[in-house]
Amino acid sequence: MNYENDTIAAIATAPGEAGIAVVRISGNKSLSIADKFLASNKKPSQCKRPALLHGHFRFEDEEIDEVLVLVMPKPKSYTKEDIVEIQCHGGYLVSQRILRCLLAAGARMANPGEFTARAFLNGRLDLVQAEAVADLIHAQTERATKSAVEQLKGDLSQKLDLVYANIMDIISDLESGLDFSEEEAPPVPSVYIRNRMTVIQKEIEELISTHDEGTLLREGARVVISGKPNVGKSTLLNKLLDSERAIVSEIPGTTRDTIEERIVLDGFPIILTDTAGLRDTECQIEAEGIRRTMYQIDRANLHIYIIDASIGVTAEDKTFLEKQDPARSILVRNKVDLGTNKTSEIVKLDCIDAILVDKQGLTEIKDMLKAKLEMHLNVRDEPHSTISERHYKALTIVRCELKEADRLVREIVDGYEVLAVEHLRTAAETIGEILGKNYHQDLLDSVFSKFCIGK
Amino acid sequence: MKKYQIIVIGGGHAGVEAALASARLGADTALITIGRDKIGRMSCNPSVGGLAKSHIVSEVDALGGEIGMNADHTGIHYRTLNTRKGPAVQATRIQCDKNAYPVRLQSLINATERLTVIDSLVTKLSIKRDKANGVILEDGSEINADAVILAAGTFLGGRIYIGQWHQDAGRIEDRSALELSRNLKDLGFRMARLKTGTPPRIHKDSLDYDKMEIQHGNVPPPLFSRQAKNKWDMFHVEQKAAGFPSRSAMFHVEHCGGIGVMPFLDEQLPCYLTHTTEQTHAIIRENLEQSALYGGMIGGTGVRYCPSIEDKIVKFPDRASHHVFIEPEGWDNCRIYPNGTSNSLPEEIQKEMIQSIPGMEHAEFMRPGYAIEYDFCDPVQLKHTLETKKVENLYFAGQVNGTTGYEEAAGQGFVAGVNAVMKLRGDDPFILGREEAYIGVLIDDLVTKGTEEPYRMFTSRAEFRLTLRQDNAPFRLLDKARRLGLVGVDVLDELKGIQVNVESEIDRLQKTFHAGASLAKMLRRPGIGYADLPDRNSSLSEEEMQLVETAVKYAGYIRREHDRIESVSTLDKQLLPKEIDYYDVPSLRRESREKLTRVQPENLGQAARISGVNPSDIAIISVYIKRLKGNKD
Repeated sequence: MNYENDTIAAIATAPGEAGIAVVRISGNKSLSIADKFLASNKKPSQCKRPALLHGHFRFEDEEIDEVLVLVMPKPKSYTKEDIVEIQCHGGYLVSQRILRCLLAAGARMANPGEFTARAFLNGRLDLVQAEAVADLIHAQTERATKSAVEQLKGDLSQKLDLVYANIMDIISDLESGLDFSEEEAPPVPSVYIRNRMTVIQKEIEELISTHDEGTLLREGARVVISGKPNVGKSTLLNKLLDSERAIVSEIPGTTRDTIEERIVLDGFPIILTDTAGLRDTECQIEAEGIRRTMYQIDRANLHIYIIDASIGVTAEDKTFLEKQDPARSILVRNKVDLGTNKTSEIVKLDCIDAILVDKQGLTEIKDMLKAKLEMHLNVRDEPHSTISERHYKALTIVRCELKEADRLVREIVDGYEVLAVEHLRTAAETIGEILGKNYHQDLLDSVFSKFCIGK
Repeated sequence: MKKYQIIVIGGGHAGVEAALASARLGADTALITIGRDKIGRMSCNPSVGGLAKSHIVSEVDALGGEIGMNADHTGIHYRTLNTRKGPAVQATRIQCDKNAYPVRLQSLINATERLTVIDSLVTKLSIKRDKANGVILEDGSEINADAVILAAGTFLGGRIYIGQWHQDAGRIEDRSALELSRNLKDLGFRMARLKTGTPPRIHKDSLDYDKMEIQHGNVPPPLFSRQAKNKWDMFHVEQKAAGFPSRSAMFHVEHCGGIGVMPFLDEQLPCYLTHTTEQTHAIIRENLEQSALYGGMIGGTGVRYCPSIEDKIVKFPDRASHHVFIEPEGWDNCRIYPNGTSNSLPEEIQKEMIQSIPGMEHAEFMRPGYAIEYDFCDPVQLKHTLETKKVENLYFAGQVNGTTGYEEAAGQGFVAGVNAVMKLRGDDPFILGREEAYIGVLIDDLVTKGTEEPYRMFTSRAEFRLTLRQDNAPFRLLDKARRLGLVGVDVLDELKGIQVNVESEIDRLQKTFHAGASLAKMLRRPGIGYADLPDRNSSLSEEEMQLVETAVKYAGYIRREHDRIESVSTLDKQLLPKEIDYYDVPSLRRESREKLTRVQPENLGQAARISGVNPSDIAIISVYIKRLKGNKD
């Protein structure tokens, strides 16, 4: 990543038609560049404090748009540099023309995440907070937004800081036993160290446990629809999407490959996957489809299994369903209008009767999905920050190092202190890495590459 | 007036190493001291080594310095510390004969070619165009040199305190270097005050040893230097065979520079252990306002980890008792050093306090304890070579840089002496990395972080502690020692031989399997030692077996440290140009600007280690220097 100090510009709002668009410019020259184009009572460079200006954006003699201009002189801005935000009318063309003017006047097109990178580099945000900004932008639901806001406020940073401090505390107790002879300083009783090790490990486990939830919020829950051929899987997908996304036909095995679609269900982002029907087949393409289905079921958060009510649960269905986790599975008996076969009662899964072509039972399916997702999400808790994939990887290292240190302080073989400190030190450094306390160029690059342009 | 290549100011533990290294490397050297009979004195405790400090001694020894040899040859009590805490933190401590220790060094210095001792007090540095040019003595005469090493210890503005009484002195009964201190400030060096102290000295016949716990030295004695070890092995055998009385056996043996010096002892003197009582604490509490330390007389910062007894009572009010170590100062020395009772109370109160300690009821004072306050130079004004950034060819070493301890002083003295010569020769600077030696950690900490209190070495300061052990010091520094040429080729070859044996044995252990597991894997199991292995190499020496065992047991951890070293070294390789002005670097935080400007780090790694400089600052600087380079091309 390039940490230049020049002036950068980008369109900060999403592409497409909208009421307004915002073009943002940050850096030492942003005020003077804005001056050149803005016809208003007061020039941006005359603003010593944050100000809202009204005026016309002109290029040479041509008026491009009537604009509102937000001037934020440094250091009281997002990047801690001079920032000018130009609000113009929405639509691709106007904002593009404004951006082009700014670039021609000496600004450089911002890289993805560069505004936030500057906020981080200038000490406005720590690394975890910077990531929260990315999450906030990508947040598709209110719940995810709240979680990201908590993280941005420093909730996760504080928790990690606390664990970091606790680890350092144990290290210093162990070190004092190494740095001084027993005659100089009495050693800290090992039971005291062991108890604190237990507390820290619990704290780490709690943070790690938010990972699943974090993934659900950031990426959406994976819900897979499966069942034998021609039971109505694609129909359910289409009805949930409210569109004819998947081809539906009377011919069994119409869906050969998995189809993925995103929906938001009362604030829960969901990745819905329709799969090829499960049956023994000679057809190679279909067999591959079935293999993929099994893979999708394995990695799904929730699994909807559909059967034809008139046929009931076959022996094949039964063997398959017995392997499924009831907390993560829903059985849908479709086509109840064609008659019901009582055999499905032998399966201990939550069960819904439906006639999917008529949308009958659809509401019940949605409610059941929500109920099961809520179980995963601790929604009744206060909004709290959740850890991302990067944090998860780091924290699993921390967990592993702490476990090893814990073993050493419990076994107490000669010379254990030095080795326990080695593990604790790595654990502390890894937490430092999450917080961006350690210098690591690759880390910074990978964190900031997640941003879209304009943030 | 004669001109020297190098002048060393001060004949303490830093000055001696600097002068010897310089002269031995071929430079015409003058050692200026307040008295040639005071060279190499142990002004405070009578021991060399101890936790972490002994690592430094072993490193100085491995590179060809004198402190380890001198302690080995003048010891009266040898001990290995931390035996249960693993080889990384194990340490050697030698109680020395306080008379013999300096005498041996003095004879050595007299016998060293190109080394002249001058008795005088330096009042000023002579500087020409920001370059060291020599010194001015108190009689007004000037001695010129190409480089000057300042190793003045506690003598710069030194002032001692006993209760309300005080006097300008660098050590009790010795003059303070007041003018030189003023001169350094005038030259623009940032200086501040530190303080330390020393306990009273007691007559050995006035103590009741039956009331104390006896502590014997270890046999065979743990030694620092290989030469001494070899000699001990050899003569220990001979003397047994010949039925020599043990104390005189080694008397004629050591001929450093042709001079037979001190007995090298097979017999050791014991130390004793006693403790303070409630009464001791009460006496101190009642008289605190009379202590120079607590009466508000001393403003300097004291040693947190080697505190005065007043400090211990005030800071740890819950403890009913503190240890007092009774350390003899030598064979033919009637003085006892009661370690742990350093204080600055009035003499009569010191007596009362000491006599409240079991076994010391009739203690007879030879000299009271006292506190000393002195000037030190903020060491961030130095490069890693210990040359000052301000004045070329001027070096600072030892307590003037804010450290405490003979060992820390010796390490710096050696590095300063070597570098002064290297620079005059036009050779590459001699710098030890943090991953190479405790000396490297010591100097990097000083020049990067400075110090707020007297700096004492701890193993926890070394982030590569499992690699930097005392047992492997001569091996990890073997290449450096060979290049310096201060260690005999025979010793280096012997070390090389051991290293080869150890490495090939480790290799064999990895490749030899027994009951499904490699021997190396078996050795890694807790509680298993080399001697427990089913298939051993019987030609290995005791030392080699120990080295193999440690290397195998720590292998996983050492690999981890190695990975860390690699990632750190990429930053260390990015040099920061001298002309960089941190106020020109955009976006740096003010705190970082100030700190970077103060320290002027030599590379990006050092910049990253400055406390308060964070990763984003490093990222900004890294881009800035790339752009600087780009502009030049």
